[in-house]
Amino acid sequence: MANSPAHRRPSRRKARGAGIVPWLFISPWILGFLFFTLGPLMFSFIMSLYDWPVVGARTFVGLDNYTTMLRYDPQFWDSLWITVKFAALFVPLNIILSFGLAVLLNLNLRGTAIFRTAFYLPSVISGVALVTIWSWLYSKEYGLLNYMLSFAGIEGPNWLGDTGWAIFAITIASLWGLGGSMLIFLAGLQSVPKELYEAARISGVPPWAQVIHITLPMLSPMLLFTFITSIISAFQQLTIALLLTKGGPVGSTYFFAMYIYDNAFKFHDMGYAAAMSWVMFLIILVLSMLVMRWSTAWVYYEGEVKKEGGHG
Amino acid sequence: MKRRSVIIAPAILAATFWGGMAMAQDKVLRFATWDSDESLAIEEAIARKFEEANPGVKVQVEAYGDGYDEKLTAAMGAGSPPDVMYMWNFPAYKDSLMPMDDMIAKDAEAMNLADIPAGLMNISKIEGKTYGMPAGFTTQVVFYNKDMFAAAGAPEPAAGWTWDDLRAAAVKFRNKDTKTYGFAVDAKPDPYDFEQFLWSNGTKYISDDGKTVDGYMNSPEAVEVLTMFAEMIKNEEAVALNIGDDTSGSTLFKGGKIAMFQSAMWSKSGIDESGVNYGVVVLPQFGVKPVHSAIGASAVSIAKDAAEPELAWEFVKFFSSPEAVSMRKNDLPVRTSVAEAQGMTNDPVFKPFFDMLATSNKEIHAFLKNAEWGRIQENLAKAIEATMIDQGNAKAHLDEAVAASARFLQ
Repeated sequence: MANSPAHRRPSRRKARGAGIVPWLFISPWILGFLFFTLGPLMFSFIMSLYDWPVVGARTFVGLDNYTTMLRYDPQFWDSLWITVKFAALFVPLNIILSFGLAVLLNLNLRGTAIFRTAFYLPSVISGVALVTIWSWLYSKEYGLLNYMLSFAGIEGPNWLGDTGWAIFAITIASLWGLGGSMLIFLAGLQSVPKELYEAARISGVPPWAQVIHITLPMLSPMLLFTFITSIISAFQQLTIALLLTKGGPVGSTYFFAMYIYDNAFKFHDMGYAAAMSWVMFLIILVLSMLVMRWSTAWVYYEGEVKKEGGHG
Repeated sequence: MKRRSVIIAPAILAATFWGGMAMAQDKVLRFATWDSDESLAIEEAIARKFEEANPGVKVQVEAYGDGYDEKLTAAMGAGSPPDVMYMWNFPAYKDSLMPMDDMIAKDAEAMNLADIPAGLMNISKIEGKTYGMPAGFTTQVVFYNKDMFAAAGAPEPAAGWTWDDLRAAAVKFRNKDTKTYGFAVDAKPDPYDFEQFLWSNGTKYISDDGKTVDGYMNSPEAVEVLTMFAEMIKNEEAVALNIGDDTSGSTLFKGGKIAMFQSAMWSKSGIDESGVNYGVVVLPQFGVKPVHSAIGASAVSIAKDAAEPELAWEFVKFFSSPEAVSMRKNDLPVRTSVAEAQGMTNDPVFKPFFDMLATSNKEIHAFLKNAEWGRIQENLAKAIEATMIDQGNAKAHLDEAVAASARFLQ
């Protein structure tokens, strides 16, 4: 290109002195961020310090919403525990399954394109349609799932009506949307240099060892990304539970996000709902930070120069 | 660029001008409803009638549908509530509603409250103030399939029957091969309606002062009610609804899979369409105790900050006039005179609804007694569901609900 660095430097300096003009160019984004992201964020924090019914007077209550939540509201802990349980099921399964599928699809066998489409398809289906399909599959009397199980001589559980099974039912339905993370892994796999595998093959490294010593390290940035986004989506799980079980049976799938939703729109307690949202935000933030910190031990970035002693 | 703005500017001016003209001509009254389809069409027809009688007034019917509460709270929060709105949850909204007692007193003759059963007026009263006028209502009854009763050789149910009668009849319809049952028990009933069974058995969810649930919600009578329903599921006298399956009772009844179905006016038109040969009977009673029904009423209220308060009152007045009440076909007329004029009080299908109303004026729904009822009700709903899933343990589950509700009663 004609623009050598030597050419660009003076013009950049000029831009810095140009005042408002560059800001105007990015102003749509800045305004959007201020009004639709940062503004509501701050507003929700202020809200969380109030007893804020939708109609009627608002009163400042300081940290009351937070103390109520932590000390007097058993439902808060129940919902949090349900959500943690769900995350513990969903996050590892989501990573393992989407990684496994990506590896299989990367083998370039016949029909790969069809399978790739098939596995990704659920990700483009609207959540409501997805839930409707699953509620048919899970039906105890008329469901396809229990019908199939009956061929194997197994009497299927009441997937959505049993307090023990419902959370598994929701986990399975959620995993159906793993197409997105599968695609990320697939893209990652295809960018791994072929020479690495060739060298390994020549040296007689068996295929499983190639996966562990080449594929996994090369894909570690994608693993990290999927890990964090899975945690976030697990904590925010709402649609599927709301539509499939409505939090039941007997509150066994009453997720944290659903409790927030009910507090806001059913009990009209906006302050409490805002406080709970902040608690959820903090939990996700802390978890993500822990994962990020831990990730330096196992994530390998190509082109990154590790400091002494640090290797992937 | 410049040329375009030359064209646009006058266009905007003109639009503003014409918009202003229209506003000067018509007073717009905003009316919000949760109804859709047929019921909405009826309300729109009533609104058109009102417009005919009041030239220069336009009623803007705003159908919020399923998200009614969310949209209404949003409109109120934003300070632009509809002038007139459908209302049932008076405790939650009363601060934003206009008390109507003065206006009712002023127009006493036109309002003719003696024509409206007291049980219906009570629903929109809080601390002696009236916040809405009832527009339509329903009580709860039992629909039964006449052909199935004839085929089973069972006598058809009649007023004064008991739950023992219902259970004895229900057994006769159970057929494993055709998946047929005598009755359906909802594991996730609307607690609002469910309280009728406690009333009928001589108890209630919460004391009348709204301060105590212990000894009410978990009283032996309440335990007896839940235990009875759980046993009906266990003994296969009834199919359990809403345990991991959302097949509705009305679907089963319309398909001839249950012989008796406890429901309300809202199921009637669907059952009519299905062609099932059915009869209607009052709810069964517990032994010799008097039977009560929940009253589901929709009322119309005026927003405290209504832009057009006088016009809003005129609309409400019209909405509860015999003329408008007789236009409503999807629920029951709130005016006795209209019900009588239409022959409903003697019609075998409609009569049980009115009979239920006559015995159901005495109790007050729990949500009118305690502002935190919405939260207490969650615990109760869990206890009911858990009992139906366990097919027992009512006492333990209700005790748990009472304990969990304690913090909302201080």
